Amino acid sequence: MSAPGPGPEATGVRSADAGIDAAPRDAAPSIPVTGDVAWIHECFPERGGHLHVSVYLVRVPGGNILIDSGSFYHRDRLADRIRRATAGEGIRSLILSHSDYPHSGNIPALRGEWGDFEIVASCADPEIQGLPYARRSRIGETLEVLGRPFTFLDPPLADRSHTTWVYDETARVLFVADGFGTLHPPGACDRFWGALPDVGRAEGVAEFHRQTLRWLEYVDPDRLLGTLERMFARHPVEAVAPIHGPPIAAADLDAYLGMLGDAVRAIARRRPDHTGKDGDG
Amino acid sequence: MRIRAAGRSTSPGEPRVSATHREVLPGIHWIQECGRHRAAIADALAASGSAWAAGGRALHVPQNAYLLAGERTLLFDTLSPAAGDLVLAALDEILDGRPLDYLAASHPDVPHAGNTGRILRRHPGARLVAPRAGETHALYHLDDALHVGPEDEIDLGGLTLRFPVATFLDAALHTWMTEETTRTLFPVDWLGFPHVEGECLQRTDEIDAEIGVDRLEAFHSRVMFWFQYVNVEVVRETTNRLARAFAGYALAPAHGLVIRDDPGRYFDLMNEVVTRVAASGRGGVL
Repeated sequence: MSAPGPGPEATGVRSADAGIDAAPRDAAPSIPVTGDVAWIHECFPERGGHLHVSVYLVRVPGGNILIDSGSFYHRDRLADRIRRATAGEGIRSLILSHSDYPHSGNIPALRGEWGDFEIVASCADPEIQGLPYARRSRIGETLEVLGRPFTFLDPPLADRSHTTWVYDETARVLFVADGFGTLHPPGACDRFWGALPDVGRAEGVAEFHRQTLRWLEYVDPDRLLGTLERMFARHPVEAVAPIHGPPIAAADLDAYLGMLGDAVRAIARRRPDHTGKDGDG
Repeated sequence: MRIRAAGRSTSPGEPRVSATHREVLPGIHWIQECGRHRAAIADALAASGSAWAAGGRALHVPQNAYLLAGERTLLFDTLSPAAGDLVLAALDEILDGRPLDYLAASHPDVPHAGNTGRILRRHPGARLVAPRAGETHALYHLDDALHVGPEDEIDLGGLTLRFPVATFLDAALHTWMTEETTRTLFPVDWLGFPHVEGECLQRTDEIDAEIGVDRLEAFHSRVMFWFQYVNVEVVRETTNRLARAFAGYALAPAHGLVIRDDPGRYFDLMNEVVTRVAASGRGGVL
């Protein structure tokens, strides 16, 4: 086993898994999404509900592909889930949506356990993102990872500029990084988006995007929503797979997009009011 | 990694300049990571035939960190993991045996905060400072940091730091900073722009070229890709309010050159940038 690569380093200096709102360790390590794609998640208690910090497992004949690596906050628990979900086989390749710590923070630890598996990263300069060993993906191109084609898309809902959405051409699952999240109530952590309680579901969509994508305060909703509509027309999905929310089945996508549209319009109507030195404009 | 020298001689009475840092304003030491990282943006600009990019000189999109030294010291951002050795060496030179009292991360993005652990291990007495804004501090191990926002002030003894809201940003967990004695605004990812070989660590008033809208557009059409989806008038109104709030402040961005003279012109340029990006779309990735 080789030593962990450098990878993005924690901004703080504490150990992993500190103070987690724990779920039982004998819970199912993964939940099937569609075909050979499975959802592996942990939760983070946040104002307004729970926030998922997920990864996804794609099982192909050549091995297991992980989409994102989760936060170092959940390091031990996520590694345990991946170990159990793969019957100890581990990971052969990892596709990174972007290098933000809750997505990339476990790369060194996972490579420490399963060797220097391939990292596919979207950024223009992997070295600056702490990933000098990564294979670069480019927006607009299709790459084969362990023989399976993935297309890398320009993400309309993202915060970091080097983010990419990843479309699994085989399973028709769109992995959407920081987009399409939902805060959910405690006790609903294992449910798909369509099975969340009706009460509070729209608020969970709105609050997630208000908290996470601050630039939506400036958005022209029609520009943004039109771009999403065209993207789904070009890349039809069986499921949408966010990192910070439950998977959304194709049958529920119109309902989600309706709530997202309402949320984006409400955020845009508020107008930014924080441009002054004292925060009140 | 290639680090280029500033290419500027030191003479009596002028700020000290070295290959990677200089005192750019009184008490404000500018540490720059420069090189042909982010070659894609450089190649795209060269291919576009931008006049300022012509002439065969290498293009740089820098990472900047700033060490503020009064009676106490604070480092604002850490450069990228590719420059870990560089920033540690620069700190050793600038501090010259003094302690680092604070390490502030504008936001937990790898090119800004990627050396936090290394710096804290070298300077274990430094207090970590992080934005109060945002909801997920524990996911970044920032829950135990000193959280700062618009109502807070850090007195370094001779320098006074405040933390206005990050108006244009990527991550929600984010702060801008001002130093009120020199009247300097640190707008982090906003107001970045590429420069060419020979302009490293130079203020905009020290280089031959005038920074035009195309340089700012080249950066923001990539980093603030979301400009393509905005209501332009809302952004312009907000920029104009920023211009009034920070009138006369020098500008010290994380990815450009320090602007001391005529800073108000850059707010006007940014209004043109957002208009262009909204019309023409994303320039690429960074």
